[in-house]
Amino acid sequence: MTTLAPDRKPSQAAGTVAHSQRRTWGIMAEFETPAAIFEAAGKVRDSGYRYWDCHVPFPVHNLDKQMGVRRTILPVIVFFAGLTGATLGFGLQAFTNSTDQSIWAFVWVTGYPFLISGKPLMSFPAFVPVIFELTVLLSALTAAFGMLALNGLPRLNHPLLASQRFRRSTDDRFFIVIEARDPKFLKSKTEAFLKTLGAHAVEVVED
Amino acid sequence: MSHAAEKTDLTPSRFVGGEILARYSRMALAVAVVALGLAVWLGWKDPAYFARQYLMNFVFVLSLALGGLLFCLIQQLTRSGWSAVVRRPAEALAANLQWIWILFLPFVGIWLWGRAHDGHGLSLASIWPWADLASMGEHDPAEAHIIAAKSGYLNDRFFFIRAAIYFIVWGSLARVFFRGSVAQDTASPEECVRITARLSRTAAAGIILFGLTTTFAAFDWIMSLSPAWFSTMFGVYFFAATCTGGYSLITLIVLKLRHLGINRAVVSEEHLQDLGKMIFAFGVVFWAYIAFSQYMLIWYGNIPEETTWFLARQVGGWGTVSIALLFGHFIIPFVFLISRWIKRWTFTLAVGCVWMLAFHWIDMYWLIMPVIPADVGSYATYNEFASAYADTASRIGNPVNFLLLLGLMGLLASSTMRRLSTKSVVCVHDPRINESLSFQNI
Repeated sequence: MTTLAPDRKPSQAAGTVAHSQRRTWGIMAEFETPAAIFEAAGKVRDSGYRYWDCHVPFPVHNLDKQMGVRRTILPVIVFFAGLTGATLGFGLQAFTNSTDQSIWAFVWVTGYPFLISGKPLMSFPAFVPVIFELTVLLSALTAAFGMLALNGLPRLNHPLLASQRFRRSTDDRFFIVIEARDPKFLKSKTEAFLKTLGAHAVEVVED
Repeated sequence: MSHAAEKTDLTPSRFVGGEILARYSRMALAVAVVALGLAVWLGWKDPAYFARQYLMNFVFVLSLALGGLLFCLIQQLTRSGWSAVVRRPAEALAANLQWIWILFLPFVGIWLWGRAHDGHGLSLASIWPWADLASMGEHDPAEAHIIAAKSGYLNDRFFFIRAAIYFIVWGSLARVFFRGSVAQDTASPEECVRITARLSRTAAAGIILFGLTTTFAAFDWIMSLSPAWFSTMFGVYFFAATCTGGYSLITLIVLKLRHLGINRAVVSEEHLQDLGKMIFAFGVVFWAYIAFSQYMLIWYGNIPEETTWFLARQVGGWGTVSIALLFGHFIIPFVFLISRWIKRWTFTLAVGCVWMLAFHWIDMYWLIMPVIPADVGSYATYNEFASAYADTASRIGNPVNFLLLLGLMGLLASSTMRRLSTKSVVCVHDPRINESLSFQNI
């Protein structure tokens, strides 16, 4: 780890040029075709880097598998959110309509047993629509916001957006970026490594 | 990668089912003939009950073929790309609708020549009570009075005219989609695009016709078994059931073809996962949604003329069948099929398909076989009624049920496999075949 030190504080030691306040955020390699980035992604995966990503203008099939990206845990989170919704929906109705207990939920709330069309106070079929709706509501909200949270969004800016070259990632170029926080990152070695992948260009991204 | 699609050899002859399917087809036909013979031999002593058992199994087999047609219609209508490699089995399954009217002919025979006296013999009224208002009026004048008001619709002649219309609509649609798709195997690329565009347009009209005909067929053949009872959701319920049966069987055929290695080169686990999603969404969740919606409205409304239908299904052995449906058709498959890997692994998906087909059959049994007791209105409380009919048996284990199932399923399977034995089992020249080959789930 000690070898990382010089790279982690690049050019700050020199402290004279305009870039003195900037740190290396990562290194970006530009590719011209989906096939090129697909092949390169496999090599980066095998090289042991962990904090890296691909930026492509359109979905490249199987690129995530080639990168060795693990599957998201979002479905599991959504499943438990759905269970929570179902429990809440049942509890809400069972408490408010079937008991006369008082509980404290920020204010004191008392159940109000109310006989509706001669049905038992605890009528499961009548509860199902609300249980269903709350299950769907919590699942959907968790899926949407959970996806954003797991992706680190919303995010107002990103170091890559400062690069002129990177703008073409929304048009016709494909980028692999290895971040400086990766334990294996070493500016000179990583730069050399990316060049061996057949990159069209390699550029250091600063923060 | 997307390049893989271009490398796949797409010669139609490479995907023809061939001798193995032709042999299966002959075997299925032999089994069907033996099973039907045994069923008639065992069941004929109680002709009215046998006719109902036959109707139940006929509706089951019909719903599978209708599910195949629905799949073709929806895939063409939405111009979906993923399904091009798995659509041909659905088309072959739907193509059975061209001859399935033959299985309905026994009812025409019963109408024309059936006679029944004092509970003996067999007439149309032994199955559908509205067919004989006079005898109905003798033991239940009040109900006969209600049914008489419906006789403008529920009369034998119009009943069979409607049946003819349903079979013509289904047969024609199935023919158009099967023929059109098969023609693509040998057509030029430009011609293939034209055929697909034509089928897509036909599907728009076809899906409306399909919705109307299945709804009214369900009213006519199933709901009118208890002619005083009605549910406006009944057609949708049957529609949901066709999804369960049809999608499960299509998936099972695709899995079998993959097992035989016939379509293995093009059908990946991505396609299997999507088929599994269709079963999960329509066959499990949509069915449960509709079934519960129908139940809850009737339960909440609590009007005797509506609740009798469910009362008959929750006393004695029928209560067990109802609970079995709740767990077997919804809760267990919901938990089972929800996981991604279950739908991508051949074995677990096949288990899910067979399970859903079994419970779809039980669902049809539950829909068609119970008879609402004539004296249901004379009980003051539910408990009195339930204890009076506590020993009602569902008779679901009756061997004739299974013999008829084996017989009619054998005919359907035999005919489907015979079609696939001489045709490519993959729509290789579908304009969207490359999209389908490179399809990936997110």
